[in-house]
Amino acid sequence: MRHLIAVLTALALLLPGLVQAQDESGPLQALLQDHGPAIVKSSRKTVQPTIDALAASDLDGIQQVLQAWQAREIWQRKSDSLFFYGSEVAKRTYRLTDIDSGAVVGEYPKKELKQVKPNSGVQALIGTALVQFQLSDPDADLRAAALTAIERAPAPELLAPLRASIPDEPDAALKTRKQRLATLLTIRFGADTATRLAAIDAVSGDLGVDVRATLNPLLETSRHVADGTVPEGVNLAGLPKLEPLVAYDLIAAQGLAPARIDAAGIRTALGDHIQDGTVGGVPLGALSDPAKRLTAYDALAAAGTVQPRVTQTDIDAALTRFTIYDAYAEPDPAITGAAEQALSQIELNVGMNQALDLSLDALSLASIYFLAAIGLAITFGVMGVINMAHGEFIMMGAYTGYVIQLIIPDYTLSILVAIPVAFAVTFGAGVAMERLVIRWLYHRPLETLLATFGISIALQQLAKNIFGTQARPLTAPAWLDGAWVLNDVVSISYIRIAIFVLALIFLAVFLFIMNRTRLGLETRAVTQNPRMAGSMGINPDRVNMLTFGLGSGIAGIAGVAIGLYAKVTSELGSDYIVQSFMTVVVGGVGNIWGTLLGASMIGFLQKGIEWLNPSNTLAAQTYMILFIILFIQFRPRGIIALKGRAAGD
Amino acid sequence: MTLKTKALAASVAFSALMTAPAFADDPIKVGVLHSLSGTMAISETTLKDTMLMLIEEQNKKGGINGRMIEAVVVDPASDWPLFAEKARELLTVEDVDVIFGSWTSVSRKSALPVLEELNGLMFYPVQYEGEESSKNVFYTGAAPNQQAIPATDYFLDELGVEKFALLGTDYVYPRTTNNILESYLQEKGIPAEDIFVNYTPFGHSDWSKIVADVVALGADGKKVGVISTINGDANIGFYKELAAAGVSADDIPVVAFSVGEEELSGLDTTNLVGHLAAWNYFQSADSELNDAFIEQWKAFAGDERVTNDPMEAHVIGFNMYVKAVEAAGTTDVDAVREAMYGLEVPNLTGGTAVMLPNHHLAKPVLIGEIQADGQFDIISQTEEVPGDAWTDFLPESAILKSDWKDLGCGMYNTETETCVQIQSNY
Repeated sequence: MRHLIAVLTALALLLPGLVQAQDESGPLQALLQDHGPAIVKSSRKTVQPTIDALAASDLDGIQQVLQAWQAREIWQRKSDSLFFYGSEVAKRTYRLTDIDSGAVVGEYPKKELKQVKPNSGVQALIGTALVQFQLSDPDADLRAAALTAIERAPAPELLAPLRASIPDEPDAALKTRKQRLATLLTIRFGADTATRLAAIDAVSGDLGVDVRATLNPLLETSRHVADGTVPEGVNLAGLPKLEPLVAYDLIAAQGLAPARIDAAGIRTALGDHIQDGTVGGVPLGALSDPAKRLTAYDALAAAGTVQPRVTQTDIDAALTRFTIYDAYAEPDPAITGAAEQALSQIELNVGMNQALDLSLDALSLASIYFLAAIGLAITFGVMGVINMAHGEFIMMGAYTGYVIQLIIPDYTLSILVAIPVAFAVTFGAGVAMERLVIRWLYHRPLETLLATFGISIALQQLAKNIFGTQARPLTAPAWLDGAWVLNDVVSISYIRIAIFVLALIFLAVFLFIMNRTRLGLETRAVTQNPRMAGSMGINPDRVNMLTFGLGSGIAGIAGVAIGLYAKVTSELGSDYIVQSFMTVVVGGVGNIWGTLLGASMIGFLQKGIEWLNPSNTLAAQTYMILFIILFIQFRPRGIIALKGRAAGD
Repeated sequence: MTLKTKALAASVAFSALMTAPAFADDPIKVGVLHSLSGTMAISETTLKDTMLMLIEEQNKKGGINGRMIEAVVVDPASDWPLFAEKARELLTVEDVDVIFGSWTSVSRKSALPVLEELNGLMFYPVQYEGEESSKNVFYTGAAPNQQAIPATDYFLDELGVEKFALLGTDYVYPRTTNNILESYLQEKGIPAEDIFVNYTPFGHSDWSKIVADVVALGADGKKVGVISTINGDANIGFYKELAAAGVSADDIPVVAFSVGEEELSGLDTTNLVGHLAAWNYFQSADSELNDAFIEQWKAFAGDERVTNDPMEAHVIGFNMYVKAVEAAGTTDVDAVREAMYGLEVPNLTGGTAVMLPNHHLAKPVLIGEIQADGQFDIISQTEEVPGDAWTDFLPESAILKSDWKDLGCGMYNTETETCVQIQSNY
């Protein structure tokens, strides 16, 4: 068949004068032309008949046509509306291939062509139609695509072909996926109760969103009104307890009882029947009294001009006569019972896992805050310098990461290089700032605050001048893409895990430097008593400089990490400065464990409040700050308060 | 200080440009009121550059009516009250004839009372929540019926979305838009419990829980879609988290109303392919005018720069202003305003933009899918839709209309046939 067409097309190309234009088009082209407008301007609501017609055509190559249509690889030549496979050969130039013969027709500029662009809704419909072709396709990617299409749009007619394709599936992973999918489809569309029950049993306790998405629709209910008792054969979900008036309105809405008339209705009815300044014998002037209105309305009703009011007796009578019940759409009570049981088990499981997920989120947030604050724990916590430019050191680190990525295109290598370089840059900046500004202002906290705040603004503006105001990309290496997925509920992105690990490393580094190195010893000595330290041969100036540099350097590394997960802008630092100070102060100034506890407390608190108030994250942050203020009232020195001489003043 | 220096530098640069030709008249002063620092700088700086480019081009053509144009750039620094101060400075100290500026609605609302008090004229280039029509503002961005409603229809009709997550930054535009959308969705038969709403602060970066919440919405078997009114650089963290969670656009599509080419240039879009944005313009729009504009922009601002919807709005607004001043023969605010109504200028997507008496434009609605190169693939384009200042989907505003040309009122009650109020301090 295909060869014949190829020969014919070749002939047609060779002898254009002899062959009519219509004969040039093969059966696929002819079929596409029949549905031309529906294909070019496709809408999910109207395209189904076209897709069905194509899929049912049984023509050779229809699978390729559908796949190309789905992948937006079909182009229409504007001059004669014929369809072709198109591929870009140069900018704005496309090579067209004949749909029937596969022969290259030529290269055309884009403006002579029109791309056929189904939207993703239409693409999904085409995907469903392709399932029958793709389920046993030799290409594993296409088989996976077919499974995705079934997952997105489960339909009863897909169950049989899916089941049939399972035994011959060579790929183990795909086979498991097919089996799982078959189970889910069986639950919804299986033929007999026993297999469906078995399928429900098989997924019971499974956390997958797809399982819940399968079970929940089984338990969809609708509310009905029955005359007398609940009719036979209904899969009863329950008898709702309703307020009498609500129940009556429901019955009335079904047309089984007259509707109640409300105050506004009475008013309109009265307005319609004014005669000679009275309504139902009541003068208009008296109508401002609601009781009088009712009298007037009843008079009208007695005369038969309006519907009589519904009385309490009517309501009671209707309520005793009619039964309101909720019924499952699924007629089989065994299925709904099993589904309900499976779901309640899953729900419990989901609840526990959600708590776990929330804890992971909180832990991650805590590690981010800790990482941002750890440098400050040194400069503010240990040295007592209120450094408002701390956030800008974080920003500097992030921009350093960005610049390194411009130079080294390999993302893994560039991050590895960026970390020490960011440390070096911010260490240098910290030392310079200490030498030029801060050392003149020790023990003058207010001046330090103002001076460093000024520096912070200047640094922000400098970053704007150098890098512009656009956010800059700091891209994580590919192996940090994605998330660690425990199940469909619990997952955490790798980048957050990396930040968590980094925070732990820095905790260890901090402890090591402070407790095990000469610098740490000297730092502690200088902060406790600079004069005594000086007389012991320690140079307090040098120690202060190095310590401040160290704190700033760690902030730079934190900047690389934060830039990876959030964004690199000149405002990056100011987003974290408040949280950093909060972390250090809440934890207890001068103690790294306090900083750790402070970060954990703020992280968990924030996530906890977000969980209570999911629709407003801003409010959650506000509540958290209120809580912190309260907390500081009761423990002004933070969670871990230093005592004795170490407390300084 | 630096901000003022910048403005000074800009005006010095322009006066240097203009000293060459001798002219009799004073220059026409155009105020540019866009944040060059702070959280909105990511979006607004480009608009400042666009204005400078348009003014430069117009001056090359000989200005307007023989008068050169001079840009006066100020920086309101994403600080909303500062927009009012800077607007006052532009109108009283600098004596500008027209202002092009603002991005967020809260900044516009902040400048409005000043504009109305001093009878200034402002062109506002960004899609917004509607429910407003000031005598002194021309809204060249989209009203909800030109962006939010068509995009929601696309979700309902084309993608078959049954459950909606409305995520927004916490300020007036997302809140009003989401109110309109909630009421619209309920009208379309989506029950209230299937609409999830969340607001986050400006610059929010911790998105993991919100993304997890959205994924969990799919548990009852309904298709979930996200309508995002997240503004500014918070988008970067949001999309990064979305990509990390492996949310595919085919499973949970996200349509954004504030994310354009500019915002996408700050992140790696390979994981975001297929997510959507709704605008009246995309850089990928196929028209000769657009090609020329992109070329001009790249020559002015640099090869790596992209164009976006609010830029097109400024192009339309500026061209209309030029035409109106030419027609009116003066820069007097009232005369120019009268001359604006019914003006037509070509838009960059190949159609015509018309200024309506309610100070809004008629524009086409485009829906584009994010591509791996940070551009949008336009998959749906409508005819020009006239902008509606007062939405028809909230009962209290359905009865209102705005007509400054014949009725002289921006908040006209069609039921009682009275003007509710002239000033827009609602």
